[in-house]
Amino acid sequence: MIVSHFVALLIFALIVSTVFALITKNEPREQFRYGVFVFLSFLAVAFAVGWIMYPLPL
Amino acid sequence: MSASNEQAGSASGAVSPVSRPMNIAATLAICTGGLLVPGLAHILIGRWIRGIIFAVCILAMFALGLAMHGKLYDFQFTEPLQFFAFIANIGAGIPYWIAERLGWGIGTMTWPSYDYGTTFLWVCGLLNYLIVLDAFDIAQGRKP
Repeated sequence: MIVSHFVALLIFALIVSTVFALITKNEPREQFRYGVFVFLSFLAVAFAVGWIMYPLPL
Repeated sequence: MSASNEQAGSASGAVSPVSRPMNIAATLAICTGGLLVPGLAHILIGRWIRGIIFAVCILAMFALGLAMHGKLYDFQFTEPLQFFAFIANIGAGIPYWIAERLGWGIGTMTWPSYDYGTTFLWVCGLLNYLIVLDAFDIAQGRKP
Protein backbone atom coordinates (compact mmCIF):
# COMPACT_ATOMS: atom_id res chain seq x y z
CA MET A 1 0.00 0.00 0.00
CA ILE A 2 1.43 3.33 -1.08
CA VAL A 3 -0.16 6.52 0.16
CA SER A 4 1.00 10.06 -0.30
CA HIS A 5 2.48 11.90 2.65
CA PHE A 6 -0.57 14.12 2.85
CA VAL A 7 -3.04 11.24 2.90
CA ALA A 8 -0.99 9.48 5.56
CA LEU A 9 -1.03 12.71 7.57
CA LEU A 10 -4.80 13.00 7.17
CA ILE A 11 -5.40 9.43 8.35
CA PHE A 12 -3.00 9.85 11.26
CA ALA A 13 -4.57 13.14 12.34
CA LEU A 14 -8.09 11.74 12.04
CA ILE A 15 -7.43 8.69 14.21
CA VAL A 16 -5.35 10.47 16.84
CA SER A 17 -7.77 13.39 17.14
CA THR A 18 -10.69 10.97 17.53
CA VAL A 19 -8.98 9.12 20.38
CA PHE A 20 -7.81 12.34 22.06
CA ALA A 21 -11.31 13.84 21.87
CA LEU A 22 -12.95 10.76 23.37
CA ILE A 23 -10.37 10.50 26.15
CA THR A 24 -10.24 14.12 27.23
CA LYS A 25 -13.86 15.25 26.88
CA ASN A 26 -17.09 13.76 28.15
CA GLU A 27 -19.91 15.53 26.35
CA PRO A 28 -20.48 14.64 22.67
CA ARG A 29 -20.52 18.28 21.61
CA GLU A 30 -17.26 18.99 23.45
CA GLN A 31 -15.73 15.86 21.98
CA PHE A 32 -16.64 16.92 18.45
CA ARG A 33 -15.31 20.44 18.88
CA TYR A 34 -12.09 19.29 20.48
CA GLY A 35 -11.61 16.56 17.88
CA VAL A 36 -11.99 19.05 15.03
CA PHE A 37 -9.60 21.44 16.79
CA VAL A 38 -6.92 18.75 17.23
CA PHE A 39 -7.38 17.53 13.66
CA LEU A 40 -7.00 21.00 12.20
CA SER A 41 -4.08 21.71 14.53
CA PHE A 42 -2.27 18.65 13.22
CA LEU A 43 -2.73 19.88 9.65
CA ALA A 44 -1.78 23.47 10.45
CA VAL A 45 1.38 22.48 12.31
CA ALA A 46 2.39 20.08 9.54
CA PHE A 47 1.99 22.79 6.92
CA ALA A 48 3.81 25.35 9.08
CA VAL A 49 6.74 23.04 9.80
CA GLY A 50 6.85 22.02 6.14
CA TRP A 51 7.16 25.63 5.03
CA ILE A 52 9.73 26.39 7.72
CA MET A 53 11.83 23.47 6.54
CA TYR A 54 11.37 24.32 2.85
CA PRO A 55 14.32 26.70 2.50
CA LEU A 56 16.65 24.53 4.58
CA PRO A 57 19.25 22.64 2.57
CA LEU A 58 18.30 19.14 3.75
CA MET B 1 -17.49 -5.25 45.69
CA SER B 2 -21.06 -4.12 45.25
CA ALA B 3 -23.56 -5.88 43.03
CA SER B 4 -23.51 -3.06 40.48
CA ASN B 5 -19.75 -3.18 40.28
CA GLU B 6 -19.79 -6.92 39.82
CA GLN B 7 -22.18 -6.38 36.95
CA ALA B 8 -19.98 -3.73 35.48
CA GLY B 9 -16.99 -6.02 35.65
CA SER B 10 -18.76 -8.84 33.87
CA ALA B 11 -18.04 -9.75 30.29
CA SER B 12 -21.53 -8.93 29.05
CA GLY B 13 -20.61 -5.37 28.13
CA ALA B 14 -24.27 -4.33 28.04
CA VAL B 15 -24.41 -2.73 31.46
CA SER B 16 -24.72 0.86 32.52
CA PRO B 17 -21.55 2.89 33.02
CA VAL B 18 -19.79 2.55 36.35
CA SER B 19 -20.70 5.27 38.82
CA ARG B 20 -18.84 4.04 41.92
CA PRO B 21 -15.21 2.96 42.19
CA MET B 22 -14.69 -0.66 41.30
CA ASN B 23 -12.65 -3.20 43.15
CA ILE B 24 -8.98 -2.67 42.31
CA ALA B 25 -8.55 -6.32 41.30
CA ALA B 26 -11.47 -6.09 38.89
CA THR B 27 -10.10 -2.80 37.58
CA LEU B 28 -6.69 -4.32 36.92
CA ALA B 29 -8.27 -7.33 35.24
CA ILE B 30 -10.27 -5.01 32.99
CA CYS B 31 -7.17 -2.96 32.18
CA THR B 32 -5.27 -6.13 31.33
CA GLY B 33 -8.07 -7.05 28.94
CA GLY B 34 -7.81 -3.60 27.42
CA LEU B 35 -4.08 -3.99 26.95
CA LEU B 36 -4.57 -7.29 25.16
CA VAL B 37 -7.55 -6.29 23.04
CA PRO B 38 -7.85 -2.58 22.21
CA GLY B 39 -11.16 -1.12 23.36
CA LEU B 40 -12.11 -4.14 25.47
CA ALA B 41 -11.63 -2.31 28.78
CA HIS B 42 -14.25 0.32 27.92
CA ILE B 43 -16.63 -2.35 26.65
CA LEU B 44 -16.28 -4.27 29.92
CA ILE B 45 -17.12 -1.21 32.04
CA GLY B 46 -20.19 -0.47 29.97
CA ARG B 47 -18.83 2.24 27.67
CA TRP B 48 -19.32 0.00 24.68
CA ILE B 49 -19.76 2.70 22.02
CA ARG B 50 -16.54 4.38 23.10
CA GLY B 51 -14.86 0.98 23.28
CA ILE B 52 -15.91 0.06 19.76
CA ILE B 53 -14.65 3.41 18.42
CA PHE B 54 -11.33 2.88 20.19
CA ALA B 55 -11.06 -0.66 18.86
CA VAL B 56 -11.75 0.48 15.29
CA CYS B 57 -9.23 3.33 15.56
CA ILE B 58 -6.44 1.22 17.04
CA LEU B 59 -6.95 -1.80 14.82
CA ALA B 60 -7.27 0.36 11.70
CA MET B 61 -4.09 2.19 12.58
CA PHE B 62 -2.30 -1.11 13.20
CA ALA B 63 -3.52 -2.61 9.92
CA LEU B 64 -2.59 0.53 8.00
CA GLY B 65 0.85 0.50 9.58
CA LEU B 66 1.40 -3.05 8.40
CA ALA B 67 -0.03 -2.26 4.97
CA MET B 68 2.43 0.61 4.66
CA HIS B 69 5.27 -1.87 5.25
CA GLY B 70 6.03 -0.50 8.70
CA LYS B 71 8.33 -2.36 11.06
CA LEU B 72 7.34 -4.14 14.26
CA TYR B 73 10.16 -4.20 16.77
CA ASP B 74 10.96 -7.02 19.14
CA PHE B 75 13.30 -6.85 22.10
CA GLN B 76 16.92 -7.68 21.35
CA PHE B 77 19.72 -7.44 23.87
CA THR B 78 22.14 -6.49 21.09
CA GLU B 79 20.03 -3.42 20.27
CA PRO B 80 18.98 -1.95 23.64
CA LEU B 81 17.52 1.26 22.16
CA GLN B 82 14.96 -0.84 20.31
CA PHE B 83 13.40 -1.44 23.71
CA PHE B 84 11.48 1.83 23.46
CA ALA B 85 10.08 0.95 20.05
CA PHE B 86 9.24 -2.49 21.40
CA ILE B 87 7.32 -0.98 24.33
CA ALA B 88 5.40 1.23 21.91
CA ASN B 89 4.62 -1.71 19.63
CA ILE B 90 3.40 -4.12 22.30
CA GLY B 91 0.81 -1.56 23.40
CA ALA B 92 -1.31 -2.83 20.53
CA GLY B 93 -1.74 -6.10 22.43
CA ILE B 94 -2.74 -9.36 20.79
CA PRO B 95 -2.60 -7.93 17.24
CA TYR B 96 1.12 -7.35 17.77
CA TRP B 97 1.74 -10.96 18.79
CA ILE B 98 -0.38 -12.29 15.92
CA ALA B 99 1.49 -10.14 13.41
CA GLU B 100 4.82 -11.24 14.87
CA ARG B 101 3.84 -14.90 14.70
CA LEU B 102 2.73 -14.54 11.10
CA GLY B 103 5.96 -12.85 10.14
CA TRP B 104 4.32 -9.53 9.31
CA GLY B 105 5.85 -6.21 10.19
CA ILE B 106 9.30 -7.04 8.92
CA GLY B 107 9.49 -3.56 7.45
CA THR B 108 10.71 -2.68 4.00
CA MET B 109 13.00 0.31 4.37
CA THR B 110 12.96 1.03 0.65
CA TRP B 111 9.17 1.25 0.59
CA PRO B 112 7.98 4.88 0.22
CA SER B 113 5.62 4.71 3.19
CA TYR B 114 7.94 2.71 5.48
CA ASP B 115 8.45 5.58 7.92
CA TYR B 116 4.76 6.36 8.09
CA GLY B 117 3.90 2.72 8.61
CA THR B 118 6.39 2.36 11.44
CA THR B 119 5.05 5.53 13.06
CA PHE B 120 1.48 4.27 12.75
CA LEU B 121 2.50 1.05 14.50
CA TRP B 122 4.19 2.93 17.33
CA VAL B 123 1.40 5.43 17.83
CA CYS B 124 -1.41 2.88 17.86
CA GLY B 125 0.33 1.08 20.72
CA LEU B 126 0.92 4.31 22.63
CA LEU B 127 -2.67 5.40 22.12
CA ASN B 128 -3.84 2.09 23.52
CA TYR B 129 -1.88 2.80 26.71
CA LEU B 130 -3.76 6.10 27.03
CA ILE B 131 -7.05 4.34 26.37
CA VAL B 132 -6.36 1.80 29.12
CA LEU B 133 -5.46 4.61 31.55
CA ASP B 134 -8.75 6.30 30.66
CA ALA B 135 -10.60 3.05 31.40
CA PHE B 136 -8.73 2.80 34.72
CA ASP B 137 -9.85 6.30 35.71
CA ILE B 138 -13.45 5.55 34.78
CA ALA B 139 -13.44 2.26 36.68
CA GLN B 140 -11.98 3.97 39.74
CA GLY B 141 -14.65 6.65 39.66
CA ARG B 142 -12.20 9.46 38.92
CA LYS B 143 -13.96 10.30 35.70
CA PRO B 144 -17.65 10.38 34.78
